[in-house]
Amino acid sequence: MAKGIKIRFRPALAATLLILGFFVFVPMISAFEYSIRTPLTGGYGWTHYIWAVREEDFFHYILRSMWLAGVTVLITLFVLVPTLTWLHLSNSKVRGLIDGLSLLPLVIPVVAFAVGAQISFPEFVQNTVLELPFLYFVLALPYAFRSLDIGLNSIPLKTITEAARSAGANWLRTITTVIVPVIRGSVMATIALTFALSLGEYTLTVLLHWDTFPTWVTYVAQDNILGAIAISMMSLIIPFLILTVITLFVPERSTQGRK
Amino acid sequence: MTSQVIEGGAPSRGRASLVSFIRNILPAVPLLLIVGFFFLFPIGRLIYVSFMSNENTFTLDNFKTTLQEPYRTGFINSIKIGIFSAAIAAFPGALAAYFIETRGSSKLRRTIAVMSGVLANTGGVPLAFMFYAALGIQGYLTKALKYLGWDLYSGTFSLGSFIGLLIVYLYFQLPLMIIVFSPAIVSLRREWSEAARNLGASQFNYWVRIGIPLLFPSFIASFLLLFASGFSAYATANALTVGNLPLTPLQIGGLLDGNVSAAQLNLGKALGVVMIVISACAVIPYLAIQRRSARWQKG
Repeated sequence: MAKGIKIRFRPALAATLLILGFFVFVPMISAFEYSIRTPLTGGYGWTHYIWAVREEDFFHYILRSMWLAGVTVLITLFVLVPTLTWLHLSNSKVRGLIDGLSLLPLVIPVVAFAVGAQISFPEFVQNTVLELPFLYFVLALPYAFRSLDIGLNSIPLKTITEAARSAGANWLRTITTVIVPVIRGSVMATIALTFALSLGEYTLTVLLHWDTFPTWVTYVAQDNILGAIAISMMSLIIPFLILTVITLFVPERSTQGRK
Repeated sequence: MTSQVIEGGAPSRGRASLVSFIRNILPAVPLLLIVGFFFLFPIGRLIYVSFMSNENTFTLDNFKTTLQEPYRTGFINSIKIGIFSAAIAAFPGALAAYFIETRGSSKLRRTIAVMSGVLANTGGVPLAFMFYAALGIQGYLTKALKYLGWDLYSGTFSLGSFIGLLIVYLYFQLPLMIIVFSPAIVSLRREWSEAARNLGASQFNYWVRIGIPLLFPSFIASFLLLFASGFSAYATANALTVGNLPLTPLQIGGLLDGNVSAAQLNLGKALGVVMIVISACAVIPYLAIQRRSARWQKG
């Protein structure tokens, strides 16, 4: 019976994908067509992509965005994995508090957060681009926290930890060689979303007057519009590839994170 | 050692309870410090400063100004675009999530999940380019529609207008709906539909009495989150409008950059606080509903 339903409704799936695909790909392909135009010769070519990659700033900003995103991922993992492991093992009273805190960034519009950040931090913080990974960490916190929380919920954490501890592993070893591999699905999902969010963050970055890859695109658009479209296309494709690679390397069961 | 840490109970004697208190809080210190300094402190200061006059005395004038023009229209437009973009994206997004989750292969579901993640985060200049290319005056879709006899630009339409922005916002609102609503669909268990059927329910009965009532809270919750997302979006509006459409996030950005001067130095902070209040009105119920439904969604 279930099979019958499945076959009957497949057209619905096809229609859904068709409509979604239309909506998603028509703007994307249209912009792509613009990005491969060569107005001088009237044909098509990779001129603008080559131009963009040859720009000195291209690698400067893409590397900068990448390492900022990398630092954000490191902060996220170093802070959240031990804290969450501990929260799950102890019956600490701060659990509710931390749960609530981790969701709070969802409530605050990024623009308001940017205003607050601009008027609060001492000079030595505002003067270093390293403030960004910490702010990105806050923006990604609701998702990262939830994702790791689900992962830890879905495993018999107490048993695993006790086994590792009684076999002589210290806490560091227990976390890095036992817990992280067991919840690797959640860890990878956390890395993927934190990385993607940091790589594409625009509002906070621009309002705090920093330049990263996403804000550079805006700048290029002022004098080379087709070049900027080419860069925009790359800025869509790069996170997509990174995320695809990350999710493909994770076995399916663990990405689900459900019991 | 292990058991102390794991149980972390509070012994009643003085020193022991101090030690256990420290044990109880110590591992959370790095997180609390970062969140405290990089998040609670700026937000607290934002709220504090929003009540300050130019002479640093307490005042409510900043908030009074937020209710006057052009800020009033900014709020109305921002709330409207939040509600409309959420309302238009919610049902199709929910339906798409349903078909994808229940009929799609696991490969398809994962691909869609990755794509939704990327698309829900698109915005700003790249998104503006895509829509200029498709729906701009020289856009492909515009030309195609014109060929079919519908001239999009015969009236006042432009991508920087309210309607234009609304269409563009759907590009990230729809994937966002698929992301936030999918977990609710996944947790609708097949056993329930089978049980209903065994008890003699028709497909229609099942949906009216079980499916829809179960999904409804998550649907409302997702709608609220979409509202907050559309309400506070900055990058896309900034890329598409040229000061022709008053929106609160843009007004705050203008005040912050000093592009717009206001008699009140702290007006931008007050606008930010009002935004937080409005956003909280949507996000807090969203979180409350999510928490409630998590009870049966966990399985």
